[in-house]
Amino acid sequence: MLEVKGLSVHYGPIHAVKGIDLRIDRGEIVALLGANGAGKTTALKAIVGLLPYAGEVWYESRRLPQGAAEKMARRGLVLVPEGRGILSRMSVEENLWMGAYVRRDRSAVVRDIAGMIERFPILRERRNAPAGLLSGGEQQMLAIARALLARPRLLVLDEPSLGLAPLMVERVFEIVSDLRRTGLTVLLVEQKARQALSVADRAYVIELGRVSAAGPAAELAHGSALADAFLGGER
Amino acid sequence: MLLQQLINGLTLGAVYTLIALSFSLVMGILGVLNLAIAELFMLGGYCGLTLIIMGHSVWLAVPAAMAVSGVLAVVVERVAYRPLRDAPMIMPLLSTLAFSIIFQNVAVNVWGSDPLQLPDALADARLSLGTASIGIMQLAVIVVTVLLVVALGVIVQSTKLGRGLRAVAENREVARILGAPASRLTTAAFALSGSLAGAAGVLIGFHYAAITPYVGVDTGLKAIAVMVVGGSTRIWGVLIAGPLIGVAEVLSVVYGGSAIRDMVVYGLMILVLLLRPQGVLGGSSMPEGERV
Repeated sequence: MLEVKGLSVHYGPIHAVKGIDLRIDRGEIVALLGANGAGKTTALKAIVGLLPYAGEVWYESRRLPQGAAEKMARRGLVLVPEGRGILSRMSVEENLWMGAYVRRDRSAVVRDIAGMIERFPILRERRNAPAGLLSGGEQQMLAIARALLARPRLLVLDEPSLGLAPLMVERVFEIVSDLRRTGLTVLLVEQKARQALSVADRAYVIELGRVSAAGPAAELAHGSALADAFLGGER
Repeated sequence: MLLQQLINGLTLGAVYTLIALSFSLVMGILGVLNLAIAELFMLGGYCGLTLIIMGHSVWLAVPAAMAVSGVLAVVVERVAYRPLRDAPMIMPLLSTLAFSIIFQNVAVNVWGSDPLQLPDALADARLSLGTASIGIMQLAVIVVTVLLVVALGVIVQSTKLGRGLRAVAENREVARILGAPASRLTTAAFALSGSLAGAAGVLIGFHYAAITPYVGVDTGLKAIAVMVVGGSTRIWGVLIAGPLIGVAEVLSVVYGGSAIRDMVVYGLMILVLLLRPQGVLGGSSMPEGERV
C-alpha cells in the first residue's frame, strides 16, 4: 500500500533521514520505532508532503508528488501529527468538521460526526468548547476522531502517546488495536516501543536517520535491536 | 450637537472598521501587513464614485468597487506576496508598499490629483432625526457596513471557506494535512480583504462627499490603529475599536480642533500597545497569528 524507497531528508546542513526504505501492506499495523531525534517525524513529514526529500514514495501503486500535503487526505493518507495538531481556537465540533474538509457528502459527514462522538464519548460534553481547553488525552481522542472523519485508508499516527498519563496511553493503544478490527492500515510512530510492538504486525527501528532493524513485531520485541536503538548499542 | 457628532463619528468609524477587517484578514492568515490595502481602498473609492457620477446606483457602485479591488488584491498576492512567501517578513511588506505607491500613481494619472466630488444632490440629501440629522450617504455608509460585516461574519464563522481560513490562520501545516488548500485559501483571503477595502473606499467617498488619490494613506494608517486597538487575537475586536476611534476622532476635532485629531487617534494606539498589547477584545496574552 505504501512503499518508500531511499528516502533522504535534509534540514539545511543536517542530514536527518539517510535513505530509508519502508513497506506497508494493506490492513497491517506497522510501527516505526526510535529514540527522540532519530528522524521518525522528519520521515513522516516528507512522506505526507510537508518536507522536500530525495527518493521515492509510492502509495496505492502511484508515486506521490512532493510538497502536496493538502492532496493526501483526499487520497486517503491522513496524518495525526506529533503534538496532536488540534486547532485550539476552534470548537471540538469544528475540529471534527475540519477532519471532513475533503468530503462533499454533507449529510454523511453529519452522521459520521455523531457516530464519532458516540465512539469517543469524552468529546460529547465538550462538543462546543474551544478544543484548546481539552486535556491532553481528550485532545488525542479528538485528533484521532478528526483524522478518521477523512475516511483514511492509511492512518499515520505520530507519537500518539506523547505527554499522556499512563491510563490515557493504554487507551490510545486500545484504540489502535480497535482500528485493526476495522481493517484500517496504520503506520504508528512511537518511542514507547514495547507498547507499540504489542499492537503492531511489523516494525522498523530507526537510528540516526537509518533503518537499523526491521521485522515482525514479535521478533523485534525479543531481540536486542530495540535496546541498541534506544540505549546506543554497538553496530 | 453631541448626538450629531456621534452620528458623524460612527459613520467614520464604520469605514475604519471595514478597512481594519480588510487588514486583519490577511494579517491573520499570513502574519503580514498588506500595505497595498490602503490604495485598494482608494481605487475602490474612485471606481464607485465614478459610477455614481455616471448616474448608477449605490447598489451597483459598491459591488463593482468590491470586484475591482478584489481582483487587484489577487494580483498583489500573486506578484508581491506569493513569490516572497519564504523570504523575511520585511520583503512582502516592502513589495506591497511598492504596489501601494504604484496604485496611487495610477489614480493620479487616471483621475488627476484634484478631489473627485460626489454630486451635490446626493451629498446634501439629509434625513432629520429630531435635533440632529443624518446624511443619506452617511446612512448608506452605516447600512452597507452592517451588511458587509454580517456577510463576513457568516462567511468566516459558518462556511467551509471560513473554517478553512481560520484553520490556515491558526496552523497552516495542520490545515494542509486535513486537506485545506492553503495557497488557494490565501488567495481567497486576499480577494475578500481587497473587496472589503474597495467597499470601504466607496463609503469614505460618501462620508467626505469626495475622494482624492491620497485618502488611502491617511485612512489606511488609522485603520491599522483600529486593528491594533481592536486586538490581535480576534478580528472582531475592530467592531468595537472602529466606532471608538471614529467617535474619538470626531469629538477631538469638535472639542480640541483638527490640529489634535491625529494625536488623539495615534496616542490611543500607543496607549493600547503599552497597556494592553492584545487589544480591547484580546485574551490574556498576545499569541502570534491566529486572528481569523
